Amino acid sequence: MRLENVWLRYHRRGPWVLQGIDVRIGPGEVAIVLGRNGVGKSTLLQVAAGVLRPGRGRVTDRPTRVGWVPERFPADQPFTVTRYLTGMARVAGLGRAAADEAVTSWTDRLGLAAFRSVRLPELSKGTAQKVGLAQALLRPPGLLVLDEPWEGLDAATRELVPELIAEVLAADGSVLVSDHRGETVRLPAARRWLVADGSLCEETSSTDETIAVVEVAVPAARVAGTVARLRAEGHQVLRVRPDASTAASQALPVEPPRSAGAARPAEPPLGMAGELTAGQPEAAEDAVESAAGETR
Amino acid sequence: MSALVRMRLAGFLRTGRALAPLLAGLITLGTLYGGGRAQPAEAYGVSAVVLFPVLAWQTKILLDVEPDVQRRLAQVTVGVARERSAGLLAAAVAALVTVAVALLFPWLVGGVSGPVDPGDRSIPVGLALGLWAHLLVVPAAVALGALASRASVGGAGYGVAVLALGGVGAVVFGLTGSVAPWLAPPIMAAARTTAGDAAALTLLGLSGWALAWSAAVVGGYLWRRRAQG
Repeated sequence: MRLENVWLRYHRRGPWVLQGIDVRIGPGEVAIVLGRNGVGKSTLLQVAAGVLRPGRGRVTDRPTRVGWVPERFPADQPFTVTRYLTGMARVAGLGRAAADEAVTSWTDRLGLAAFRSVRLPELSKGTAQKVGLAQALLRPPGLLVLDEPWEGLDAATRELVPELIAEVLAADGSVLVSDHRGETVRLPAARRWLVADGSLCEETSSTDETIAVVEVAVPAARVAGTVARLRAEGHQVLRVRPDASTAASQALPVEPPRSAGAARPAEPPLGMAGELTAGQPEAAEDAVESAAGETR
Repeated sequence: MSALVRMRLAGFLRTGRALAPLLAGLITLGTLYGGGRAQPAEAYGVSAVVLFPVLAWQTKILLDVEPDVQRRLAQVTVGVARERSAGLLAAAVAALVTVAVALLFPWLVGGVSGPVDPGDRSIPVGLALGLWAHLLVVPAAVALGALASRASVGGAGYGVAVLALGGVGAVVFGLTGSVAPWLAPPIMAAARTTAGDAAALTLLGLSGWALAWSAAVVGGYLWRRRAQG
């Protein structure tokens, strides 16, 4: 699929939200759409999915079957989970038996089995989001567009999302996903599209990128968890040392494996400071913000 | 597309919002037939006129019941053309059910009578003319209701304004001697025809007029949807 010189604005005299976007995604590829709030990530995703029509330019070679998971699932509908998903499966072209089978399969897989007869407005935000995820996957999509898919999901389903993406990719589908929670570190092979000022540029992953070292301070009791989490987010934790103001400045080296939870440092009794490297300044800022949150 | 039509009709019926236009229609018909008995063709002609705004309102409610994001999900799933068509088709089906109730209603309350004078139309002819008058109203009302829907005009206030203007305009511009009768669907002209001389050519002309008016308004609806994104 290709977006060719796509421009979009919501009102005739309004500002252009997307300006001359020109990008292509092929079968078996996943791209993460990044950018600050309000820069047009969701707009770009909706143009790709076919929800919005570009004011100028065009979208070509969009796969026939598109699955779109909106940022907020529209739960204000008078259907139960089963009835809604069965209806959407039929709308997607499945026969009665195939629709029932698909609904049973996806509700089981996404942990919705207990909610089958619950009406949509009575679902929690996370459960409703699972229904949104299920409706997009009832028929294997050639293009899966996920707008903040991890929002509100429980840990088990968050872990499941990369698996679902991998299945779409394995079937030669394409996936577009936006995320502001840092969950896309679970998609290490993904292309990264940065949206800013209406334009899109692709971040190239390079191994010779300049490395920055960021020091963070966390309560001693949370050192192990913080180290594990930072590693899970793709950062390299260099060492953990006691805070100079509360303890002797004895540095505790940390083994450098990058896999989450592979190594846990001994927990010192007092406040600790650590260093981590960040290949990308944005990621480093996120890490500092996270660590600051831990200390409050 | 039929699955989407069924889903939208189910959504419309399950919210209970279908009751409001149905009750309004029944109250209007009750008032209409409460005054005495009339012959079918004449009675049905007036019934079709008063049902026009009710059916347009019903269409607006049916289309507005579906959340905007759900409408976009349907569009992604079936495509733009089918999504638009399914909404109009669902509204037409709902309108036909209301028309069936309207056609049956006067017989239940004794609002119609058979031929009295030798020159009066027979009951079957009267029924056929009444059915024609109501079917003439359906596409026009569905078109107006769609144009007034949230997906078309955005805010609720604009939708009510479109409905009110359309309803009043259909009567005002449809009066005998109107300066611009083509601005309105021919529901008033149809009522006059059912009460008077219903020549085949007249019926054909009015049917074509109603379809052309409806097509123009549906065109406006589709253009508005396209502009709304």
